[in-house]
Order: sequence, then C-alpha cells, then structure tokens
Amino acid sequence: MTKSVFWYGCNMTRHGEIIRLSERILQAVGVDAAPVGGPSACCGSPKESTPRIAEGMGNRTMKSFNESGAPRVITWCPSCHMNLDDFMGQSNEQNFDSKHLCEALYEQRDRLAPLLTQTVNARFFVDRHVGFNGRVGVNEIIPELLGMIPGVSFADHSYRAPSYMCFGLAPIPGALADAQRATLDAMRETGADTLVTIFHSCHREMIGLERDHGIRVVNWVHLLAEGMGIAYEDEYKAWRNAEDPLAAIGAERVAAAGEVAVQKLVLPELTRPRLV
Amino acid sequence: MGTDQRMVAHQDWSALRESETARMLAACSHCGACFDACPMIPYAPGAKGSDKSETVRGVLDVLTGGQGDAAARNWIAVCTRSASCNEACPEAVNPMLMLRLAKWRGNETGALPKRDAAETMSRVKVFARLSFTEDEQRDWL
Repeated sequence: MTKSVFWYGCNMTRHGEIIRLSERILQAVGVDAAPVGGPSACCGSPKESTPRIAEGMGNRTMKSFNESGAPRVITWCPSCHMNLDDFMGQSNEQNFDSKHLCEALYEQRDRLAPLLTQTVNARFFVDRHVGFNGRVGVNEIIPELLGMIPGVSFADHSYRAPSYMCFGLAPIPGALADAQRATLDAMRETGADTLVTIFHSCHREMIGLERDHGIRVVNWVHLLAEGMGIAYEDEYKAWRNAEDPLAAIGAERVAAAGEVAVQKLVLPELTRPRLV
Repeated sequence: MGTDQRMVAHQDWSALRESETARMLAACSHCGACFDACPMIPYAPGAKGSDKSETVRGVLDVLTGGQGDAAARNWIAVCTRSASCNEACPEAVNPMLMLRLAKWRGNETGALPKRDAAETMSRVKVFARLSFTEDEQRDWL
C-alpha cells in the first residue's frame, strides 16, 4: 500500500530531528508516512503577499500529493494545514484525506501508550495559542498525549497566546515579548519547569528562553520521544543558545552548507536579540 | 484507510476570493464584534479607541480595492489569525478570512506593504543543508 505523506512544511528544515522523530513515532504506532516538504512542497504561505505566486505553489503541491497516490497527508504546520483546507482543497481535486500529526497519533493512542515506558521528570506547561485550535484541537490533544508519559505532570493554565503560532507575533513590535512574558508568568504560577512548544515557529522563538530563565524548552514530539526512550539532539536549540553559533555548528558543516549562505541567512537568525 | 474525494468548490483562488468577498459584503453588519474580540488591537496604531464600525467599513474598503483608513490598514496588518473574531461574529462572516483577504488585496493595490519574503526559501534550503543528511535532502525535499 502506498505510504501516507508526512507534510512537514518548509520552515521545519531547521528541525531535522523533529521530522525524523515524527516519522519514527508514526511508524511505531503502525503509520507509514514519508516526509515531504521544503520549497517543492509549499502551501504558498511564504509568498501570499503575491497571491498568484502562492496559488501556483499550492497547486503544484496539490498535484504532487494527488499523483503520489497517498491515502492521507499528515500535516505538521498550521499554515499548511489551513491553506490546504481553505484554498488548495477548495480549488483543486483532493484525492486524499488529511490529519494533523497530533490527530494521527491520537487515533493510535492505544498503540502509543504502551510504548511510553521511560520516566520523564517534568512538570510541563504547553505553549498554547488561539487560532488553529478551532481547526484541530491541539490544545487538548497534545497535553493528553504527553500526559501518558510516566513521571510527567501537566501544568494547566488558562493563558492562550494570541496568533495561531508565534510566527505571527514576531514581526509586530512588542507582541512576541508580551507573549513570552505572559508565558513565563503562567509557568511560575503553575510551578512548571518545562515549556512544551507545539509548532516549529514557537519552538524557534521560545528556545532562547532556556538560556536565561531557568526552564527547559522542548517540542511536544521531543517529549514523546523521551517517553519512548528515543535519543535525539535539538541542534537548533544548541546553536541558538551557544555563545558562538558557528563554532557550535562546526566548520565542516558550515562549509558543506555554504559559508556565505550560512553567514548571510542563518547567523543573523541565530544571534537575533532576545526579547525578555 | 479511505480517501477523501471532494468537489472542487472554486475554479481558482481568484474565483474563491471573489465569491467570499461578495458573501462577506452581504453578510457583514459592521457591528464591530470582531474588532472588540481581537487581541491584537493594542498593537495596531490608531485602531484602539477608533470607531469600530467605521474601522470594519475600512477593512471592507481595502478588501474591495480601496485604501481604507489608517486604523483599518493597521488592524489588517497586525492580524495574526487568532480567530477570536470568528467566535464573536454574529453573522458568521468569518472575519479572520476577511482580514486575510483584505491583506492580500491591499498588497496587490499597494494599500498595504508586502511582507519581505525574498530570502525565505533560500534560508529554508540552507537549513536543510545543515540539518538533513544527503539522503534526507534527496528524499524529503
């Protein structure tokens, strides 16, 4: 049978280990899904200031998914997920169904639960946002999945950050800093020691808090992997929190990726100012 | 596992936008419930304290190719798709989509500046070269 697709989106190329872990966890619960993403499988979101270009990108991706014969596209990115529902699927044939990764795992939670054998000592707070939760109940599903890990406790709180993920807040003066301060306040109120991010852009923005605020920041997939005893390394976090990101990446890898490109496109992101 | 074969609702995104714009113009009563519910108003210069009904009319003006007023343009610019407006709207207009389509229209007419995404995909590719193995680059991209 043709594999499903795990559509990780485009900006997830920063987090190769989350893609690997997602594929492995899906496989462990009986779901074979091939990772697909990057510029050739774009929903058009990065180019939506020019809708005609965004449409062309979205149409190309739909054609590719339809021709793959995949019965299901498992989404990661909320932008991709909503664009699929709101635009791509409204103007193209769609020969597959779609679920978010957390839904696909939740469907298999009876198979996932016995695999979560490792004790993880964490009182975790989830970086929950409004917006996407109306499409997919990430704010309820993810704490429930993580709650199956031995040793953890869920620090529930009513705070919900605005924007469907931190990506939307980052370019608006003051907005992301306010959300980070509110998140830290909520964590203190609940006695949480671990901040769990749901989306990649939130992970990208929140991991910087680990260096100065005495908390641990992990993605929800990382925490599931820990519960399953799967080793991983969050390299992006290590690079972001290193005194010298280029040294942390390593000269050989920088050279292989293209030193000029890394200097121009990667380094400014890894060294951007911390907001709180 | 079953597949999901749906009817194509619109010929293309332009048709979708035209259809949705017409629906929104007909449905919106300019009550401003969306404005009241929006958590981003404090970040939109000139929007806080503005006449909510007029600001909604300004959004609809941008949506249909006009310039709107500053409060409307700034509100559109700070929309982060919180969907708080959708829950508040008594007419099921889908104000979140209304603001998003207004942003697209404003980008096209020049009423709103375009997001600079020129380097986005180049950055995605460099990170892939850093984070993915050669096999993963071949299979995943």
